[in-house]
Amino acid sequence: MNVDVGTAWTLIDESAVAGAMRGSTWLYPVVEVVHIAGFSVLLGSVAMFDLRVLGFGRSVAVRAAGSMLLPWSMMSLFAIVPAGLLLFSAHPNELAVNPVFQLKLLLIGLAGLNALSFHGGVYRTAATWDPSAPALAKVHATASLGLWLGVITCGRFLAYS
Amino acid sequence: MKRLLSILALVISAEASAHHGWSGYDDQRPLRLTGTIEASGYEHPHGFVRLKTADKTWLVVLAPPSRMGNRGLARAELAKGATIAVEGYPKRNDPGELRAERITIGQKTTELR
Repeated sequence: MNVDVGTAWTLIDESAVAGAMRGSTWLYPVVEVVHIAGFSVLLGSVAMFDLRVLGFGRSVAVRAAGSMLLPWSMMSLFAIVPAGLLLFSAHPNELAVNPVFQLKLLLIGLAGLNALSFHGGVYRTAATWDPSAPALAKVHATASLGLWLGVITCGRFLAYS
Repeated sequence: MKRLLSILALVISAEASAHHGWSGYDDQRPLRLTGTIEASGYEHPHGFVRLKTADKTWLVVLAPPSRMGNRGLARAELAKGATIAVEGYPKRNDPGELRAERITIGQKTTELR
């Protein structure tokens, strides 16, 4: 079956889940809370790790900080992404063409690529980063902080534009 | 990349002038519209009415349903065919959308902000 993208958004818009998101008194705010609580954990853990890579909090080794913090970054996605999809489902046609929403998705994609290339690349040598991480690692960490702040800024605008 | 930067600049400048989330609307151009309700939604994240006025049909964005409920504006009052008036601000990048500061139905005015 050939369903074009606009039709797909309309199917989501007319679904029972989307109707409940718009119409139920509590569902939408509860899902918002899950989304926000989730990205608080994501941003908190990512920022603490990035700051450690940048040289703050040297009493904890980089790899120890990573093994403590980064599993929470991953776990938080199980709250953020489903909640985000539900929020999207309430108004898919409007959001899909909203440039702020498109920018937000792009920044999330770039943040993901940044993390992948960090972990697949320079982080492999983290055991030898004493006392200071290499410049490339700091570039990744700075990019991560900037990208995630951009994601939050876009999200804030989607909620209140 | 240039387009990306220009959107980012737009977001940041809009953020700087943010006004409780009303920054997408031009509060220097307050409008009062009177018309009949063609359709309405008492829904998240904001209620709305499609308001048929003399010259066009506007999308009027209202408040979240919990706020409208708290202020005594019931779902049933946004009935199709009802004549209402709204005061608010047009969206900066969409001349067919207005964010309502207040809505008047019959003799009752409800503040939405």
